[in-house]
Amino acid sequence: MSDHPQADEIQAGATKRRQAIEMGALALLVVVFLTVSLIRQNPFAKDADPAKAIGLIVAAGLTLIMYSFLYRDNPLFKIGENLYVGVSLGYTVVITWREFLRPLVYQPLFEAPTAAAFNNSLLHLAVPVILGILLLARISRKHGWISRYSYALMIGWGAGVAIPLVTNSYILQQLTAAVKPLQEAIGPQAAAEPFSQAWFAGTAGPVLGALVAMIGTVAVLFYFFFSVEHKRFGSAVSKLGIWFLMVSFGASFGFTIMGRLSLLIGRVNFLLNEWLNIPVK
Amino acid sequence: MTTNQNRPRHYELVRRIIYVFIALAVIVSYFYHPKQDFSPWIEVRKVYDKVESLSPGDHLFISIDYDPSSEAELYPMCLSLLRHCFKKGVIPIVMTPWPTSVGIAKKGCDEAVDDANSMFGKKVVSGKDYVFLGFRPGVQNLILKMGDNLKGAFDKDYYGQSTQGMEALAGVSSLRDIKLLVDLAAMGTVELWIAYGTDRAGIPMATGTTAVMTPDLYPFYQSNQLIGFLGGLRGAADYEKLLKIPGRGERGMPAQSATHVLILLLILGANIRMFAGRFLRKKEGLS
Repeated sequence: MSDHPQADEIQAGATKRRQAIEMGALALLVVVFLTVSLIRQNPFAKDADPAKAIGLIVAAGLTLIMYSFLYRDNPLFKIGENLYVGVSLGYTVVITWREFLRPLVYQPLFEAPTAAAFNNSLLHLAVPVILGILLLARISRKHGWISRYSYALMIGWGAGVAIPLVTNSYILQQLTAAVKPLQEAIGPQAAAEPFSQAWFAGTAGPVLGALVAMIGTVAVLFYFFFSVEHKRFGSAVSKLGIWFLMVSFGASFGFTIMGRLSLLIGRVNFLLNEWLNIPVK
Repeated sequence: MTTNQNRPRHYELVRRIIYVFIALAVIVSYFYHPKQDFSPWIEVRKVYDKVESLSPGDHLFISIDYDPSSEAELYPMCLSLLRHCFKKGVIPIVMTPWPTSVGIAKKGCDEAVDDANSMFGKKVVSGKDYVFLGFRPGVQNLILKMGDNLKGAFDKDYYGQSTQGMEALAGVSSLRDIKLLVDLAAMGTVELWIAYGTDRAGIPMATGTTAVMTPDLYPFYQSNQLIGFLGGLRGAADYEKLLKIPGRGERGMPAQSATHVLILLLILGANIRMFAGRFLRKKEGLS
């Protein structure tokens, strides 16, 4: 409570009025939406496909509900948000069962046509199924330690497989690509015609790119290196690192804007073309 | 620290006005769009040229690593790639390691099959002209397994047909027998496919990704670990243009341009306002 009860009352009254107006506007929008939906996608029409029409209406409604967040967080948005999470999870469970667990685990074990087939399945599936079930022990605080056997195997095997492959793909091949233009620039082929037109076109560009990448990498790493005080030359390198970071963030941000707008364009196309049935010109 | 409470009162209003303008720009572009001429990116052209260089009967592997939330950007790419394959007689092998991607992968296959009939007069048959393998979990393990034995990783396709002896998979025993692998990704799977799949199998790889992910692909493109890539809706539009089959990508370009111009104008306007305000405050302070 503030020191001005009258001001509080006025404020509360204004909030109530605003909420009433918003609820009225929401009810009106729902009525408009349903009317438009029934006109453009009437599931009761003679030649209509009811499942498709209802699906389109629900999809359009949920799209508009999700965009209602741009005005303000509201109960309809919360319903849509929870529905999205729930439906995704439900769909994942059904697909995992239908496409993976039933044909590869359940049917070979519980619907085996012969005893020999069952024994064969058991031989191949027993260890992975048991290790998978052990993971569920995480749910229990008392027996959670049992899951460590599965995790130990996963992490040990994962690291063993990943280290050589990742080292090759992310470090060695990247280093080779970074050094290759510089190597080619001083190689015998380049030395034959240095500073010729072909040299500038074929070698100078990649060399310049490689040098910029090298300087940028060192400068950015130095910016995050706090063991040495960033003074004089160090300060200049650090500032150069910030510039490289800003250019990188700018490029990423530009692409992010493009991506988000693409999603909006996709939804607007859906609403106009599929829900409202407005043909594309 | 700026919080919702101490923001200027007009902030919410301005924010909503900007949203309305952006929405209007997209909606107006849907109805009115002047013809735009744009030249495809070199990265996209390289992917197109690679598919174009494949012979009928060659295999192109497509991994669907996106779900419906990224449909706007990646579905047009999937459709264009499949149409290109069917047009050339290349056999696409489609699969997904994500349960939420199964529906959208099947939708892409079905639509491209219908298009092959209506656009190229070809009757495309599952198991003969293309394969939809469906879903298997465990991305890294799955890639490693397919690198050794593709039919062991998928003993049946999505429709329940056995992959052993399948006409479309004749001559394919592992990823090494694939002529080009394309990862259509909205998740961080491109790096996994490079490390566990294509670098190991020694086959060329291309990607189609959301615009957000595109900048991260350049190091792999410059090291030739990727032969090219399709970046965002623009990448899809470029591929459609090269293929000469317009689709959702090209249709989205006028709206992209309109909204980009609007954003640039808003940035310009906000900067002018800021500098003008600073100038006026300085002037008032001096006088």
